[in-house]
Amino acid sequence: MTTIADNIRTQIGTNIASYTQFKVSQELPFTASGEPLYVKNKKTVYVDDEIESKIQLYRTLDQGEVYQTETTVQAFLSLDAKNQPSNIDDVVSAILSARDVVTSTQVNEGEVVSEIEDDVLTYTFEFNITNL
Amino acid sequence: MAVINVTSGSQAILTLSNVDLAGAEPGATNGLVIPLLQDVSVSTQPGTVRYSTLDSTSSSAFTTVMENEISFNMLLDEATFFGLDSPGGVNSVTDNGLWSTSNSKSEIYFSIAFEGADSGDYFLKGQGFIGGLAPSASIDQAVWISPGTIIVNGDLTKDTV
Repeated sequence: MTTIADNIRTQIGTNIASYTQFKVSQELPFTASGEPLYVKNKKTVYVDDEIESKIQLYRTLDQGEVYQTETTVQAFLSLDAKNQPSNIDDVVSAILSARDVVTSTQVNEGEVVSEIEDDVLTYTFEFNITNL
Repeated sequence: MAVINVTSGSQAILTLSNVDLAGAEPGATNGLVIPLLQDVSVSTQPGTVRYSTLDSTSSSAFTTVMENEISFNMLLDEATFFGLDSPGGVNSVTDNGLWSTSNSKSEIYFSIAFEGADSGDYFLKGQGFIGGLAPSASIDQAVWISPGTIIVNGDLTKDTV
């Protein structure tokens, strides 16, 4: 079954295809030898598995229940902090736009935070999607 | 003595029919059971007239007529609200749906089951007009929701299945 994370991963690949220095990994952002893959492999976007929760939106007298599904997907991208590509803002924007691939949503939000540790700049993307 | 627990999903049932009171009783074969009710309320209020007399420091009152009303909120079910694509020809409320029945001001019979549709279960019944439909949708609520009322014409009477 194709998950929301799969769709976002594919769409990120489409959105950044023209930025040839960057690519999307099909692997999860697991840690190898104490270091996350996205730190080891810079300019490669790693999309994590989705976290899903179901919330009861309506409950009726005849037990007709309507559930809302909240899905969170995180993605990671690391760069050399001392040598950032000039088009990084465009790449970040393109990655955030990947959330539009998920349709029929109540909430479809994306945010990014950046963090510098040693000489590594890491962007952490979070996509929050709510639908029925 | 015990509370009437409605959490089983088969206790509080609103049934409608245009045929007769028997056709709208809980469990009636051709009654339209309103699905996806979020809540249902029975309101019964005697009309009163107050008057004062010179020999009392408090007003007195006498009753006039009862005003009865059923109100509810529901998630919209397509067939219930708009009617059947292939009308069965038995119960026009089922065939035409709540919207058209309200719009045509057709009188309907109804019952509200309090305890379900098993033998001996109590319910209230009466006749009246559907009104107060106000379907609304928003991206936050995600589905169509509407309140509704039945303006009762006459008495609300209790009965058992």
